[in-house]
Amino acid sequence: MKDAGAYAIYGVRGANGVIVVTTRSGKTGKTKITYDSYYGTTRPLRKGLDLLNPQGQADLTWLADRNSGDVDPNTGNPVDPYYGNGSTPVLPDILVAGPYTGLSMSDSNANPAKYNINPANGSIYQIIASNKTGTDWFHDLFKPATSQNHTLTISGGSEKNKYLFSLGYLDQQGTLLNTYLKRYTARINTVFALDKTIRIGENLQLSFRDNPTITNQSPSNEIFTSVLAWPIMPVYDINGGWASLTVLNPISQSNPVAARVLAQNNTSNYWDILGNVFAEANVLRDVTFRTSFGGTFNDYYFYTYNFSDYGLSAAGIPNNSVSEASGYARSWTWTNSFTYSQTFRNIHKITVFAATEAISNFNRELDAARSGFFSTAPTFLLLSNGIAATQTNSDLEGASSLYSLIGKADYGFDERLFFSATLRKDGSSIFAPQKRYGWFPSFSAAWRLTEEKFLKDSKWLTDLKIRTSWGKTGFFGNTNPLNQFDLYGGSVSNSYYDINGTSNSPVQGFRNTRIGNPNTTWEQDIVTNIGLESIFFSGKLNLTIDWYKKLSSGLLFPVALPAILGAGTPPNTNVGNVENTGIDVLVGSKGSFSKDWNWNATLTFTSYNNKILHLTDLPYFDLQSNAGTFVRNEVGHPVGSFFGYKIIGFFANSNDVNKSPVQQDASPGRFKYLDANHDGVIDDNDRVFFGNPNPKFTVGINLGLAYKGFDFSTFLYGSFGNDVINVLREVTDFAPYPPGFPFNSAKSKIALYDSWTPQHQNAIAPIAENSFNFSNLGAVNSYPLENGSYLRNKSMILGYAFKNNWLSKYKIRRLRIYLQCVNLFTLTRYTGLDPELSGASSAWGIDFGNYPNNQKQYLVGINLGI
Amino acid sequence: MKYFKPLLGLAALTGLFYSCNRSFLNSSPLGSLSTAQVANKQGVEGLLIGAYSLLDGQGAVQGGPASSESNWIYGSICGTEAYKGSVVGDIPEITEFETFQSTATNDFLEAKWQALYEGIQSANDVIRIMRLAKDMTLSDTVEARAEALFLRAFYHFEAKKMWNNIPYIDETITYASGNYHVPNDTAWNRIENDFIYAMNNLPATQPNVGRANKYAAEAFLAKVYMFERKFTVAKPLLEDLINNGVTAGGLHYALLVHFHDNFDPATKNGSESVFAAQMSVNDGSLGANGNPGDVNNFPMVGPVGCCSFFRPSQYLVNHFKTDPVTGLPDLDNFNDSDVKNDEGLTPDSPFVAYAGTLDPRLDWTVGRRGIPYLDWGIYTGSNWVRDQTDYGPYSAKKNAFYISEQQAYTDNSNWAPVSTATNFNLIRFADVLLLAAEAEIETGNLENARGYVNQVRQRAADPMGWVYQYNINPATGSQDPALGNSGVPAANYKIGSYTQTWTDPALARKAVRYERMLELGMEGHRFFDLVRWGIAQTEINNYLKQEQTLRNYLVGVTFMPCNEYFLIPQTEIDLSAGISGIPMMNQNCY
Repeated sequence: MKDAGAYAIYGVRGANGVIVVTTRSGKTGKTKITYDSYYGTTRPLRKGLDLLNPQGQADLTWLADRNSGDVDPNTGNPVDPYYGNGSTPVLPDILVAGPYTGLSMSDSNANPAKYNINPANGSIYQIIASNKTGTDWFHDLFKPATSQNHTLTISGGSEKNKYLFSLGYLDQQGTLLNTYLKRYTARINTVFALDKTIRIGENLQLSFRDNPTITNQSPSNEIFTSVLAWPIMPVYDINGGWASLTVLNPISQSNPVAARVLAQNNTSNYWDILGNVFAEANVLRDVTFRTSFGGTFNDYYFYTYNFSDYGLSAAGIPNNSVSEASGYARSWTWTNSFTYSQTFRNIHKITVFAATEAISNFNRELDAARSGFFSTAPTFLLLSNGIAATQTNSDLEGASSLYSLIGKADYGFDERLFFSATLRKDGSSIFAPQKRYGWFPSFSAAWRLTEEKFLKDSKWLTDLKIRTSWGKTGFFGNTNPLNQFDLYGGSVSNSYYDINGTSNSPVQGFRNTRIGNPNTTWEQDIVTNIGLESIFFSGKLNLTIDWYKKLSSGLLFPVALPAILGAGTPPNTNVGNVENTGIDVLVGSKGSFSKDWNWNATLTFTSYNNKILHLTDLPYFDLQSNAGTFVRNEVGHPVGSFFGYKIIGFFANSNDVNKSPVQQDASPGRFKYLDANHDGVIDDNDRVFFGNPNPKFTVGINLGLAYKGFDFSTFLYGSFGNDVINVLREVTDFAPYPPGFPFNSAKSKIALYDSWTPQHQNAIAPIAENSFNFSNLGAVNSYPLENGSYLRNKSMILGYAFKNNWLSKYKIRRLRIYLQCVNLFTLTRYTGLDPELSGASSAWGIDFGNYPNNQKQYLVGINLGI
Repeated sequence: MKYFKPLLGLAALTGLFYSCNRSFLNSSPLGSLSTAQVANKQGVEGLLIGAYSLLDGQGAVQGGPASSESNWIYGSICGTEAYKGSVVGDIPEITEFETFQSTATNDFLEAKWQALYEGIQSANDVIRIMRLAKDMTLSDTVEARAEALFLRAFYHFEAKKMWNNIPYIDETITYASGNYHVPNDTAWNRIENDFIYAMNNLPATQPNVGRANKYAAEAFLAKVYMFERKFTVAKPLLEDLINNGVTAGGLHYALLVHFHDNFDPATKNGSESVFAAQMSVNDGSLGANGNPGDVNNFPMVGPVGCCSFFRPSQYLVNHFKTDPVTGLPDLDNFNDSDVKNDEGLTPDSPFVAYAGTLDPRLDWTVGRRGIPYLDWGIYTGSNWVRDQTDYGPYSAKKNAFYISEQQAYTDNSNWAPVSTATNFNLIRFADVLLLAAEAEIETGNLENARGYVNQVRQRAADPMGWVYQYNINPATGSQDPALGNSGVPAANYKIGSYTQTWTDPALARKAVRYERMLELGMEGHRFFDLVRWGIAQTEINNYLKQEQTLRNYLVGVTFMPCNEYFLIPQTEIDLSAGISGIPMMNQNCY
C-alpha cells in the first residue's frame, strides 16, 4: 500500500507498509470442507564456498610464510607445527589436540594408547586422523530435508450465522541439522446476527510452534563456522568422539557438526493465542457502532543443554550446563467506532467514521542456568539437579501503551469523484509526556475519467482512474519504552566490585545503563502520491503507475554516541530527514490462444531513490555491524551507503610504492587506495562512498498458462544494481586471521591461486602474507564489495484440476494436484551463497553468514474441496 | 435483545473515555533504577562501586585483552618485555601493536578507549547524582567526590599514557547538555587537580581495603608529576609516601618479604599494595571479575593449560644476568650474549641449564626450562608453549597461581579455571621507591637514589623469597612438586647492592631504569616508562635489532617517534566532529 490515504487509517502501524490480514470467515451456503496439503523436499546448495583442499591450505601457509620472510634463516623454509619444515609442506597423518601438533603415522606419539579426552585422567591427548582429501563441512551440516503442510477447513453458514473452523499442521525441516519448524494451528471464526441490526462474533487462532533455529547473520552460526573449520580436520577423532578444532587453534570454536548434533534436545517452543470478540449494531438507521476487544498472548519457552564434550571446547572442556528461558508477551486492543453511511439523491455517498483505540503491551521473561550435572541423561537434566553454586538467573520486563482518536470522512460523487480525509491523534507511552502526542492528517482524491461522458463510450479504454493523496503518519519504530529515561543498573560481571578484598564476594554497584532522551518524538512520514489505474480492452491489458515521494522527518534511530559519554545504551533520537521518491509500475495482460489455451502475464517494476536530506547532530552517522563499520549515513547520500577506503589496484613494485601517495604499510602486492583529496597522503580523509545496498530497480514477473484442466505458473523476481558486502571473503581470501575473529579459517582458492605475486599482478586478492595491516585487511576497504544483482525463478507450478463432471460423481467439489519447484534457478554474479539477504536493517546489504534462501525445493500438493 | 443496545452504548462510552485518563500512557521504567531512585546516599555509594568496577578494564563492553588494566599488550609487549605469543596470526590486532603498524581502526584501541571513558563517566555519575541526593552530609559528599575524582583521574591518566592527546571529560559533559563534542589536548593540569583534591580529602585509612585512600592519590599524583618530569614537585610527595604512607587497610608501606607475594591471591592487599584492581572469582560473574583481560596468558601445561600468549622476550631474560662477584647487572653489555635457553629442543632432549649468575626475580617473572613453575612441576620447555619457533621458549609467570589455590582463588564455572582472584597492582611500593630514586637523581641527590634502589634489591636478595627446586622423589629419582621445596635454589642466584657511591647521574639514571625492568617486568609499565624517559626510539630499536635475529616476524620492523603514542580510534574521531567542534586528529606515521 503506497497510497497515503489508504494507510492513514492504520496509523502508527502503517508506516512500514501495511499487510492487511483479512480474517477468513464462513460464507452463507452449504457447508464446505477443503483440504490442502503438500509434501516435498528441500535440497541444500550443491556448491558451498569455493575452498581449498588440505594440500592447498598447506601450500597457502608456505606461500604466506615465504612472502612474509617468515622462514628459517638456515634452510630458507617455513617451519610449522603441522606441516613440518621442508621446502614444500607435508600434510600430517595425525593431529593431536592438547599439545597442538601434527605427526606422521610412524611417530611414537601417534600411538592410540596415548588417547585421552578426560581431564580427570591427565592431560588432554585427542588423536585425530587428518582428512587429507578434505572435509566438506558445509555438506556435513546441510542435508536434504522434508517439508509437509496440511490444512483442513470447514466453513459455512446461514443468513444469520457464519462459521469457519480450520486445523493446520506444518512440518518444515531445515537443511541445517536439527533446525525445523513444526506448527500446529487451529482457527475458530464465528459471526452471529442476533437480530437484523445486531451482530456479534469472534475470531480465535491458537497455535503451537516447535522451532529450534540458529541466529542468522552471526559469526557464531554454523554457516559461518563451517568456513572456520579447516578441511584437514575430520568430524570425528580416531575413537569416534567429536574431533576438537582446538587442535589447530586453542581458542577456536566448536566442531560445527558436533554443535548441531548435540543441539538435538534443545527446544524453542511458542504458544500463541490471537483473537478478538466484537459486537456490531446499527444503532440508528445509518449509523453502525462496533466495539472490538482483541489481543494476542504469546508464551514461549527455550531449553538448551550444553554438553561437556571436547568437540565443543574452546580450550579446556566446558562444564555441562542447562539453561532455560520462559516468558510471555500480551497485548490487547480495544477499538470502539461509529460509522455513518448515507447516500443522497443516489449520487452523493458519504461515510463518516469515528473511533478510539487503546492498545496495551506487556512482556516478561525469566532466565536461569546451572551447570555441573552429575548425569547427562535427558531425564535428569532439570535445573534443580545442577550444582547450586553455579546458578545464574535473571529476568526482564517491558510495557508500552498507545491511544488513538481517529476520524475519517469519505465523499463519493456519482462513482466519478472521490474525496477522503482522515485525522488521527496518536499518543504513545514510549515518548515523554510533553512529546507524547502527534496529529496525523491525510487527504486523498480520485477521479474516474471513464465515468465521464467524454470517455464513457470508449471502446478500448475500459477503466481509467487517476488519484492523488497526501498524508502524514506517525511512527515510533523500534524505540524502546525506556527511551525517555536515564537509567542505572548493572550486573555482577560489569558493575560489582570486590571492594573488601574478599576474592569472592563483590559488592553490588551500579552503572548508567541507558542514556535517556525526553525530547524524542514521533517520526513523521509525509507521503505524496499520484497514481493512475487503467484497464484496456475489457481487461486484456491493465496498467497501474504510481509515483510517490516519502519524506521521513525526524527519522528515529539509535544514533552512535562517542564513548566519552560512557557506556549507557544510547536513545533513539529524531536524527534527521530522509526522502524516498519512487515509481511503481504494474502491467498486466491476459488472453487466450484458443478456447482451451489461456494465458496471463504481470510485470511489476519498482524503482526508488533514497537520499538523506538533513541530520541534526553530525553530518553523518555510522553503523557498526559485526563486520566492522562499513556503513555511513551522510547527508546527500542514500541510507546504508558503504564507506571506506576504495581500492584502485595493487602496488606493482617498490618504485610504484615510492611514486604513489604516501600510504601506511604500502608494499608491493598490497592494496593501493584512492587518494580522494589528492593531498599525496592516504589518511582517513580519503575514505569515500564506494557502494550502495539500494537496488536501482526490482522486477517481478508472473506468467501463467492454462490448458483445459492444466495450469502452469511461474514467478521471477530480480533485484538490480544493489551492492553487497560479502564478509566471508574477508575471512577466506586472506592468509592472516581476519580482524575481530580469534580463529583462523579455511581459505578460498582465490587466496592461493589468484592472489598477487610479482608474476601474477592481475590478481583478485592481495599478496598472501601473515601480516595484517592497513594496506590489506586492517582498514575498512572495498575488497568485499560485490554486485548483488540477481534474477531468481522463485516458483514454478504445474497443476491439474480434475473435471467437475467427473468429480461430482464422487460428490467432490474440487480436486487439483500440482507439482511445485521453488528457486529453480538464480542468475547472479554474486560469489557468496545467496545474494538475497535477510537480517537487521542496520546491516543491510551485508552478508554475514546469511542462511541461504535460494535452496531448491520440490513439492507435490493437493487441493481438495467437498 | 432489549438491553443489548444500551449495554453496547455503555461499552462505547467506557471505551471512549477509558483511555482518556492520563495514566494509561504514563510509563515508569521497568527493571532499572531511575535517577530519583539512585539519588541518595546508598545509590551514590552503588555508583561509586560501579566506577571502581572498571578498574579491571571491563565494563558494559567486555574488551578482554584489548582493555586489560594490566596493559600487557601496550605496556609490556610494546615495551620490549614480551612477544605476543600463541601462534602467528592468532589475534592479529596484537601483532599490529607489536610491529608498530597499528591502524586507527584496530578494534583493540576502541575497546581500551571505551573501557577508560566508561570509567570516567561512571565516576562523573557519582558526582552528578550526589548533587541530587538529599540525605548526604557535607562530609559524605566530600568523601564520595574525592573517591570519584581519584578514579576519574586514574582513568584519564591511563588514557593519557596511551594517547597523550585526549579529551578530558568532567561531570559537565553529558548527552542531555549536548556539549559532548570535546576536542583533545595534551594538558596534565586537570588530571593533577583531580588527584590533588582526592589527596587532600581522602582519609589515610578506609573501611574497605579496596578503596582509594589519601596515599593512593598521593602516589598517583607523584607518578603524574614524574611523567611530566616535574621532579621537584614529585620528590616531597614520594618522600611522604615512603615515610608516612599506609595502605587503605592501615598497613605501613613496606616491601613484602617474599617478592612473589605481590602476585599471590592469598596475600593480596599487603603492605606493598598502594593501589590495586581487586579481583574476585566464584561470585556469579562466570569469571568476569577475575583478571578477564589476561585469561589467555597461561602456559599450555600448568595452570589453565591455555593459551600461551604474552611470552617473555629474550631481551627481558638477559636483563637478569648478574655479575658473579658483585651480583650487579651489566647495564651496558647485558644483551651481548643470551641466557641459554632450550629453543628448538624437545622436552625429552637433554638440556644443560645456564650456569651464570642470575637475579632471583627472573624465576618469578619468567617460566623457563628446568625451573619449577610454582607447584605445577618443572617447566619442560616446548610442550609448555605454543609455537616455540615464532614466539620463543618462555612463559609469563607473575599472573600464575598455585595448584593449591585452585578452586579458592580460581573460577571453574567457565570453560577452564581461567579466571583468578590475584589482584593486579596498579601501583605498588617498589614502584614508589624506584620513582623516588629517579626523582632524587633528577634533583641531584644520587646517594638517596642509590639507597632506594638498594632497598628494592635487598628484598630480592633475601633467600626467603627465592625459587627452590622440589624435593627428589626417591621412587622416580626426579623432582616432585608434591614433596615440596628442597632448599636448593632453582638456579645460580646472585644479587647484590650497589655499594659504590653514585657520582655520575647518567649512570645512576641507567641503573634505576634498568632496575625498574627487573622489578616491574611483565607488569605493563615498560613502554610508558621508555616514552616518558624519551628513550623509546633508541631502546626499542636496539631491542628490535637484536630480536630480529631470533624472531623472524620482527624483521623489517622499526620504531618511529610517532609510535610513542597510540592512534585515537577512528570511530571516536569520526564521532567527535561536531557542528561547531573541531574533530580529533591522528598524526600520520609513515
